[in-house]
This record gives sequence, C-alpha cells and structure tokens, in this order.
Amino acid sequence: MSVTENKVMTAKEAIGRFVKDGDHLVIGNYTVGTCAALVFEVIRQQRKGLTLYSQSGVFDVEVLVGGGCVDRLVSTYVYRAGGKEGGSAVERAMKAGTIEMEDYTNFQYNARLVAGMHGFSFMQVLEGAMVTDLFNKRSFLGDDKYRVISCPYTGKQILTVPAANPDVCIVHVQRADRFGNAQYWGALGSVAAAALASKRIVVSCEEIVAHDIIQSSPHLTVIPGYRVDAVVEIPFGAHPTEVLGYYNLDRLMYTLFFMSDMNGNGLKAWMDEWVYGCVDRHAYLDHYMAKHGAESLDAIRAKAYYSAPANYGAAYTSCWDNEDRERSMGVTLAEMERILEERGLLNG
Amino acid sequence: MAKKYTLDELLIITAAREIRDGENVILGVGLPTTAGAMAKALHAPHATLMMESGILDIEPLVPPNHIADAHSCRGFSYATDLFSMFTMTYRGYVDVCFLGVAQVDRFGNINTTVIGDYYKPKMRLPGSGGAPDFLSYAKKTILTMRGGEFVNKLDYFTSPGYLDGGDSRDASGLFPKGSGPVMLLTTKGVFRFDEKTKELLLAKVHPGVSVDDIRKDIPWDLKIAPDLAETDRPTDVEIDFIRRFAPTEAVGRKLMYELAIAHSFNKALARGK
Repeated sequence: MSVTENKVMTAKEAIGRFVKDGDHLVIGNYTVGTCAALVFEVIRQQRKGLTLYSQSGVFDVEVLVGGGCVDRLVSTYVYRAGGKEGGSAVERAMKAGTIEMEDYTNFQYNARLVAGMHGFSFMQVLEGAMVTDLFNKRSFLGDDKYRVISCPYTGKQILTVPAANPDVCIVHVQRADRFGNAQYWGALGSVAAAALASKRIVVSCEEIVAHDIIQSSPHLTVIPGYRVDAVVEIPFGAHPTEVLGYYNLDRLMYTLFFMSDMNGNGLKAWMDEWVYGCVDRHAYLDHYMAKHGAESLDAIRAKAYYSAPANYGAAYTSCWDNEDRERSMGVTLAEMERILEERGLLNG
Repeated sequence: MAKKYTLDELLIITAAREIRDGENVILGVGLPTTAGAMAKALHAPHATLMMESGILDIEPLVPPNHIADAHSCRGFSYATDLFSMFTMTYRGYVDVCFLGVAQVDRFGNINTTVIGDYYKPKMRLPGSGGAPDFLSYAKKTILTMRGGEFVNKLDYFTSPGYLDGGDSRDASGLFPKGSGPVMLLTTKGVFRFDEKTKELLLAKVHPGVSVDDIRKDIPWDLKIAPDLAETDRPTDVEIDFIRRFAPTEAVGRKLMYELAIAHSFNKALARGK
C-alpha cells in the first residue's frame, strides 16, 4: 500500500475488506483501549473459525467467543465473572469443547509477536517457565508451543517460542492521520508488536488529525502509515474500556457487562442489546445516552493534561540563507551555475 | 483510642508495609496496586512503582483499575513496552513483585489458571498473565490470597515458588539464587517460608482469628513460627490514607457493589427512567 493513499473508511467496510473467516486475528490493544467498536463489527459480520490472539482477553475475548467467532484462542489472561458462582464465555466454550486455548505468559505471548514483527522465526524467553505446566501442558500448538535449544555461545538450555504473524490486527489508538500513521501513548504494552507482526492492520482512532500533527510528534507514532490498510475514526471506539486523554473506564457499563456475562443467556441478552441491536458505534452511543443519560458519558470524559511539546526544531530548514546564498559556499544559485559552466562541469 | 479498621484495610496495609524505600516494585492487579500507592505516599517515597504494561515510576492519585491504568496518575516517568518490562526483570532490576493466587502448595508454588482438568476445566481462572516470569526473576515476591485454597497438589502449576522445597529452586539453575516468595498474605494471617525447608510457616494471625481456624484450611501439618504473633494493627494514618485514597477498597468489594448499584438506581430514578 502506498503511503499517500487515503485509507479512511467505515468500520463496516474495514472489517468487510480485511478480516476473513478462518483468519488469525490479533487484538492490538492490551488491557486498555480495547478496539471495542471494531470487535463488535467483526461479530455483526459473523466471522467464523478465527484463531484469536488477545493478550489480556477480557472484554474483547468474551464477546468474540460469545458471538461464536472463535475456534482457537491464544492468550495469557482471560476473565471470569463473579467468583465461584460465576463463569465466562471462555469457560463455557471450553466445557462445551467448542474452543481450544493455548496459554502463554505475558512475556512469551509478546515475544512471539516481537519475533514476528522483526521477521525472526523464534524468540528466546525466560527459562524459569520450563518447570511450569505452561511448558508441560500444551493444546493445539503441541510440540511447537515451545522448543528448547542450546545457546551456541554459552551452551545454556534456552526456552524459545515460535514467531507469530497473524493475518490481521485490529487496534484502537488515540489519533491517526488519513494515511494510517497511528499514534498511541500511555501503557504501551504490546500494541506496536501486535500490529507490526500482522499481515494486515486495521486502525480505529478517537480522531483523525492532519498529517503535520503526526510529523511534529513522531515519538508517539507506533504504527507507520505504510503498514496500515484501513483507518476508521470512531469517537468512544473503545468504550466501555478507556483511552488515555479521552475518557476513563466506564465502571457502571463494565460492571453491568460482567454481571450479564456470568451465564450464557445473560451474555446473549447483553450482546443482543449492545452488539447486534446497534448497527454501528453511533447507534451504540445513542442507545447508551438514552439508557444511562448523556451525563454518564460526560462524567468519564478526560480533562486535558498535555505532554510538554518536544522541540523538533533545527537551525534552518533550507540550504539558502536570507539573502539566498548557499550557507557554506556563500554563493547564490545563479552564481553557482555560472561557476559550474565556467569550469566545464556541466554536460548535455 | 486507635481507629477500627476493615479486613480489606488490614490486608492492603499489611502488604504495603512489605515495600521498603528505594525498591523497584512491580504491582499486580487488585490489592497490590493500592498497597503500592500507600507505601509510596507514606513510608517509601523513593520506591519506583511499575506495571508490566510498561508504565514506570507512577504515583497513583486514584486506585489503578488494572495493570495498564495510566488514568490513575498524572503522567509518569518512563513509558516502555511489555517486552522491556520483563527483560529488565530477567536482568535483576526488580526487587519485589506482588501476585494474587488461587491455589498454593506448601512450598509456595501457585496456580492461577484452572480448577479441575486443564483441558476440560471445572473453573477456568484468568491464567498466568505475568506471574510465572515475575515469580521466576523478581528478587522477592509477596503472594496474596483471598478466596483461594491451600492444596497438596496444584491442579495446574502456573508459577514457581520453591518447587519441591529445600534448595530445589536454587539447585535447578533456572532462577536467581535466593529469589522466590517471601510472604503469603491471606484473609486469616501472614505466612513466611522456613529458611531451610522452604515450607510455609504461619507467622502472624489476624485479630480475632485462631490458629485452629487457619489449620482447618490446610491439608498438611502446618508449621507454626516460634515467634507467632498477632498481625500488627494498622495505624490511624494508614487507615485514613486508605479511606481517602481507595474508599471503594476500604469498604470491600461486596459492599461497594451494593452501594454502587443502589446509587446508579437512584440516579436513574432521578432521571425519570
């Protein structure tokens, strides 16, 4: 994809074009800023047979598994609502035998993506895990969940995990430009690795900003435009999870979700209302405000606390000074061309 | 007269006291985040608090919701990625980490993954998160357990404590020498680990709890520390801090939900819904 191409589209179009049945789909966000609007669109479009990668698979994993989209799950942390009496979509699906799950530690999961991001075939991880059941109990990856090799330099036994290169990453960020340069700040987690390891990238953002905003703050860009396939502007696109600088976690909505999620019928009713019952994020927010009041949304809006600007300035931005003389040689362009002619250095 | 305190307050404060000034501290989800904030505010101002999501040197103003909660602070000093958080732990820069556990055995090995069969779970618990790697490489680990259980054999071995006890952890060659859990805090008491056998040792009992109350939860012959004492009571300053800083945790989850749901219901009524 060319960097100059305008990639702005709706969530419906982005998911329709870039997420396919049977894909390995990675959720780019880790714990915060879950790409909820994109996740809901995947469910509404009834994608099937996904191998889902979600590092801290709480809200996103529950609804995707509840929506019947997932055959296989790779994660480090899933949710279980309501203590001993509760449950989760993942637990229900595992009991029913409709999903298989491969457990990794946070570092191992991330390391698989880091290997994939850099084009390596595996990554060294921390050998202490060799004594645990993570190492001993394996699911669909079998022998390839981990391999132990000997370090060619020290001879030490090294635990490794295979690279992961998911087909597609969906990820929510604070802001992006129309070319896909995506800026994310806060808890960086595995966001860059998840996106950059993937073959296709769909970015949703709180706002699309002008390209010069991106250029003045490149330290915030975690995904470069040339890697991105689609950019979707979705205010409150991570609700009920939070986006730093935009809004906090919606505790009421989150609590109500997890109370519903304690059993299959509760989750289904919740999804009928908030996923299938709302055609897009606008409809979702309209429904939210009708039900819980616009003031509930206002109560979680962030008050600004701006980062000090980093000075990207330089002494000059042209080789030619105010008198149009070249700074080191002290000549004008016309003088330079004349000298080149005089010395016989011009051809053609 | 000294202030009365809730059980939740006692647990948070007891955990917070384990943090020493100047330490690098990894905070896990739940109780530890509040404990870390209290330590930083009251007795360990030079502790560096960090979370595996890559936020370092945080000074929480409200209790973090989870381990990636930059909303709980007004900025922080260092933003890095998760990969670097674990490699810095591997290199020995983390002094103490806190982890909540679901099952623990007598040598402090823990299960946070599953109750029953791994492939056909009776209860699927959250899983490992960062726990196995932190428990492997942090210099010391504080374990907390609320609602979990002591077992002879873990249903799933998620994170390494002292393996088979004695010197087996150090002898494995997989872990920094001398690393491992140093304390297990439960709703009934405080456990340490015997220096030689590395077996759990009851060190403190919370006020109003008897040793027999604790023994009946434990399926082996529990060793008792010779200097067994009652858990140190929280000071008024500590109690006041927790109530101001983390009121929903001071009251405990059950009461918090009850009051919060009643509050939302009243707000909805006021809107005419």
